[in-house]
Amino acid sequence: MAHHKETFEGCTIEIKDDVDLSINGKEIDYNHDEAKNKFSSKYLPYTQYDSLLELAREIAKHTVEFSHVKD
Amino acid sequence: MAIRKDANTLTSAERAEFVAAIQALKAEGIYDQFVLRHANASMGDIHRCSAFLPWHRRFIFDLELELQRVSGNPNLGIPYWNWPSGGANASMWNDDLLGGNGDAGGVVRTGPFRAGQWTVINSSGLPAGPLMREFGQNGLPTLPTQAEINQVMAIMPYDVPPWNMNSNPSFRNQLEGWIGPNLHNRGHVWVGGSMLPMTSPNDPVFFMNHCMVDKIWHEWQLRFPNQGYLPANGGPFGQNLTDPMGSTPSGQIGARPIDVLDSTALGIVYDGIAPQPQPQPLLIVVGANPTQADISTPGETDVFRFDIPTFGPHTMFTTGPSDTFMTLFGPNDPNVEVTSDDDAGENFNSQITRNLSAGTYYLRIRLYTPNSTGNYAVGVRSDGTGPSPIPELIVDGVSINAAISAANESDVYRFNITTENIYTIETSGTTDTFMTLHGPNSQIPEIDRNDDGVALNARIRRQLSPGEYFARVRHYSPIGTGSYSIRVSQG
Repeated sequence: MAHHKETFEGCTIEIKDDVDLSINGKEIDYNHDEAKNKFSSKYLPYTQYDSLLELAREIAKHTVEFSHVKD
Repeated sequence: MAIRKDANTLTSAERAEFVAAIQALKAEGIYDQFVLRHANASMGDIHRCSAFLPWHRRFIFDLELELQRVSGNPNLGIPYWNWPSGGANASMWNDDLLGGNGDAGGVVRTGPFRAGQWTVINSSGLPAGPLMREFGQNGLPTLPTQAEINQVMAIMPYDVPPWNMNSNPSFRNQLEGWIGPNLHNRGHVWVGGSMLPMTSPNDPVFFMNHCMVDKIWHEWQLRFPNQGYLPANGGPFGQNLTDPMGSTPSGQIGARPIDVLDSTALGIVYDGIAPQPQPQPLLIVVGANPTQADISTPGETDVFRFDIPTFGPHTMFTTGPSDTFMTLFGPNDPNVEVTSDDDAGENFNSQITRNLSAGTYYLRIRLYTPNSTGNYAVGVRSDGTGPSPIPELIVDGVSINAAISAANESDVYRFNITTENIYTIETSGTTDTFMTLHGPNSQIPEIDRNDDGVALNARIRRQLSPGEYFARVRHYSPIGTGSYSIRVSQG
């Protein structure tokens, strides 16, 4: 997955070169714990994720900066 | 005084009072200010770090003051979410307190914080829709059990390098949830929805979750009164005991970890916590046969104390088959680290030899490998012979040249005053020295201290009555070393 782009929960997730993550065009800082191969972000401070794409989808779904108003 | 109760035990009137106070703060815009204070804090200032617990203690304390203000009830406390009995069917999720789980789309449609009645904000403070919850749907389907809480309650010390999510053994890291059974983080993830991002205070259960975290820390502090907050120093800025914590405004209490360590002093009372006797560290008699001990639980730290009557060289040591690690604290303060050692003794035993001035010292002993257990014996012996080796300064005499040659080292000097007058004790040189003055006729009472009296040198000038005095000199930095000179003069 050198380059990945998808629409998830109404957000455009883009991962360039396996490392550069953006959601709706905004660059997303994240941490990669290489020892555990886990990904985390300040946007979701209470857990780690097994892949960068999983992290991106969870940010798109749960972070109110990106998620759509539901009601 | 804030009386914090199990949320599931609140009476109808108490529930109504809490909900009304939260809604009043929301209407005033104060509640959203708390959401933004948390949402816009730097990650490394408040999570995955040593200050996680004191930062959130101060945070919920500040909200509690606001709740007390708008309710007019000075005893109103934030209820705590007692996880073992706080599952989806618990009464705290009833419509008269928090409301329940979200619907199929995650939207909360019951209780006082339901859609249409409560709007969350994003980190810019803009409205961002209804409150969302999805109990147990984010990979952690269960809440912490009492057995898991008990497991974390046994962990010592408070924290260890690298002071982050990889710290181990670390009570803070286990309570936060990055290692061990996962307590605090699980509360957030189990609720899901609005409790997942940095704007998680949007859900009032955030404060109940952190009240539970704070209660556990409080109980741990009562259980291990000699386990102080760490790092005392040497950690990242904002994490040390006396550093100002990030994103913490000035307020009724200070913004440093040290300002919030004592819940009782803050007027916080938790129901269900029976008064506990304060266990004292076991006493080691200097020169006696070593005391038998053991590390029976992984991560355990044993604490001992011993008294040094007069200045002199002493050796603190362990014997036995275990690979021990020893840290010396004092004098007279169990949270001031002097030095530590791993393998200076026989085989894998720890041993510290150094000059100690009079006072009470504390030894914390753990095993080098945190997940191991084993027995050992610990002792302290005096290595001194002959008269007191404390160097004597002569008033208006020559300077003594000395050096702080190791981390945490301090030098002690004595001098005699025969005539009451003003005297000056000062260091000179390029080393950043810090001096305390003790006496008369005892090394224990501190009567003065100085850091940078002249440039980086320490200088104390004061009236002294006749008697013997003691000046203790250390480097301003606990890890600093360097040479200096010291002298005493009249005037």
